Amino acid sequence: MEVESSRHLPSIRVGPGVITAVLRLLGFIDELPAGATGVLHFGEHGIILLQSRRICWAVARGMRIRLTDILRHQSTPPLPREAVEEIYRTCKENGTPIGEALLASGLVTEVGLRAALFKHNGEAITQLAQSNAMPDGFTVHTKTDYDPKFSFSACEVLAALGSLEDPARAIAAQLELANTLVQESSGAAFARSDTAAGSLVIAVDRQCDFPVQDLVEICNWVAGLFDVARTFDPSACAARATWGGSIALVTWRVAELGYVGLCSSRAAAARLVSQLGQRAAAGAIAASGGETA
Amino acid sequence: MNIAPFRANGAPEAGTLQLDITYALASMRTGSLLDAEGAGEAQEQLEGLAATLPDLFGTVDTGSLDRISERLGGDGETENFAEILLISPEHTHVIQPLVARPGVALLAVSRGTSSIGLVLSAVRARLDVLESG
Repeated sequence: MEVESSRHLPSIRVGPGVITAVLRLLGFIDELPAGATGVLHFGEHGIILLQSRRICWAVARGMRIRLTDILRHQSTPPLPREAVEEIYRTCKENGTPIGEALLASGLVTEVGLRAALFKHNGEAITQLAQSNAMPDGFTVHTKTDYDPKFSFSACEVLAALGSLEDPARAIAAQLELANTLVQESSGAAFARSDTAAGSLVIAVDRQCDFPVQDLVEICNWVAGLFDVARTFDPSACAARATWGGSIALVTWRVAELGYVGLCSSRAAAARLVSQLGQRAAAGAIAASGGETA
Repeated sequence: MNIAPFRANGAPEAGTLQLDITYALASMRTGSLLDAEGAGEAQEQLEGLAATLPDLFGTVDTGSLDRISERLGGDGETENFAEILLISPEHTHVIQPLVARPGVALLAVSRGTSSIGLVLSAVRARLDVLESG
């Protein structure tokens, strides 16, 4: 599994106010229709470019980092500034997408470009959120030629921010999700933290694309489920809740972290529960004695 | 209708897997068992499970469930969870709200987790009996 360790956003200081502000801003994106493609304007504060409601590019006024700098410093020694800026200038002149040109040049890899875009967009969105900017317009684009590989869901942005509190823990959580989730399921890992008013989402799989407020709401409910379960079965470590016919959430916890897999079919939920049941019987998933997510 | 908790662990037939399931009905509003006779050593667990009902069913935002369902390709408005299953290394707990008796849920506690499918089948069969009765 590909774990993008360079996703971290080192220049952002995460606190409860930041998470709340980012949740509010991402909520504006979640409210757009599924196919929303175009530019979401935030007055003079900046813009977010979306394709099918996924985040392709974001810019905030007064940003401290530039994509070219992020890309340059992915290599040791850093890529020559002139080489990257030359490609950037050419793209600006002839309208070629910068990502395609950078990949074609061989200066960056797909993984490196995705990580750099993620870092850039995460910084921009956090800055927009902290400025309390409100969206004041949406310009619809009819062209949808942005490569989906280089776009991000609102959940991914939220998780990247949450991962900053403990990057190593977030990478371990992402591996746990990758190793456990089954087809037709998508999920998140969360922790209890002073950084967030409720659950802090610290990792998601790449398919995780739910309204961020609703994802946090589900994580909070799951945290409460394990809290109350502790009163009569302290070793309860996994659960499933079904609704709406075939939809289910499957949750489990490992040490201090909680995990949620949202399943679109009964079969997927059954596979996930079966797998967790076997792990529970073998003692491979279990709660620690302390407070858990 | 009122049922007393009962154990489903009668004498096993040769070659069959014995299920040890204890059932009870509980109020989802108050979290109390509606009939606690006969639960034996599982009574404490059933009481604990029953006590969680107001929290589990009263704190979920059904709007969130609807919107998540929509993203997963589901449809229709959600009233609440239709079934909750809780697993530990020693027990499987099942909560099944009754459609025929709103505000009442069938609770089941089974020892062990090696046959979750069988436990669920037994609980759903029990639920069918209650719903049709």
